[in-house]
Amino acid sequence: MFEERDDEDMLERVVRELRRPVSVDRAFDARVMSEITRPDAVIPVARPLRRVWPWLAAAAVLAAVLIARPWAHPSARPDAFQFVLVAPQAASVSLVGDFNDWDPTRAPMRSAHGGVWATVVALAPGRYRYAFLINGIEWRADPAAPAARDDEFGSPSSVVTVGGRRS
Amino acid sequence: MVTRIRAGDAGAYGALVARYRDRLARYAFHMIGDREDAEEALQDAFVRAYRSLERCDDPARFGAWLYGILVNRCRTTGARAARRRRMFVNDEDAIHGAAHPDQSERVEWADVVGRALARLGSEYREAFLLKHVEDMEYEEMAELTGAGVSALKMRVKRAREQLQRFLKEAEHV
Repeated sequence: MFEERDDEDMLERVVRELRRPVSVDRAFDARVMSEITRPDAVIPVARPLRRVWPWLAAAAVLAAVLIARPWAHPSARPDAFQFVLVAPQAASVSLVGDFNDWDPTRAPMRSAHGGVWATVVALAPGRYRYAFLINGIEWRADPAAPAARDDEFGSPSSVVTVGGRRS
Repeated sequence: MVTRIRAGDAGAYGALVARYRDRLARYAFHMIGDREDAEEALQDAFVRAYRSLERCDDPARFGAWLYGILVNRCRTTGARAARRRRMFVNDEDAIHGAAHPDQSERVEWADVVGRALARLGSEYREAFLLKHVEDMEYEEMAELTGAGVSALKMRVKRAREQLQRFLKEAEHV
């Protein structure tokens, strides 16, 4: 069905298919309206307390700004960072992370001698999670960096903090 | 509109239902994979949204807030429906699908896509649909799902890889 198409074309076709309109039962709107106008339905009346929330939110933002003191941080210009991994058995290594959308093609690492792989990327101040992708299949955290404690997707990853911000 | 409803004009909610119904229905159908369950989830999301409208902090972003309710509702329904998942095709396809060769091929493709989508884990399916079908930014998705941007990027990436694999497998069946 799609033997000559590349992967991107295939995904485009998938997305096009999934974006097609989906019809809903004609009585749907009536059912919803009937449900919400039942005598025991809760009527969404605004509570006086709501008026307090904007002030609380403003106070929270002010407190966060005073604690973070953004004016005390260095400039937000990107700096060059070198990432290194020793992997003598690897045929290829890529650096993947928040800074390149976890795309292995954007930061392939170069092998020097003794299986030392390295690459340099420009990072603006901030906190980034990253990992190494070995031979295109094996995910490995950076043994020389802190592990990401808030890892949410099950693969090992590390954290780098740039510009002195606390993670 | 939200202000009018809060003031007691329940009838105005019908306009909001009509406005958001189709887009939300598409997400629910693809996420759950079963027409009846999807409509039930969608109806429940609209009713819940109405009943908790006072908690919608920014009426201008009612759509995003409603989306969040539906995403949660689909998670609940999806877990229950996963055991009996089947492919959804829309009405037009069901009625006219076999009548024309081109349509027939498209229905077949829709079936292949639906089955591949159904094989994804629910978190991957959710991330893929929100990113590629609903065209959301990762920050929006994070707000809706409660997951971090990094995790969502990873889920989308893996969903794409898995979908490609499933589709290639289907090609060789």
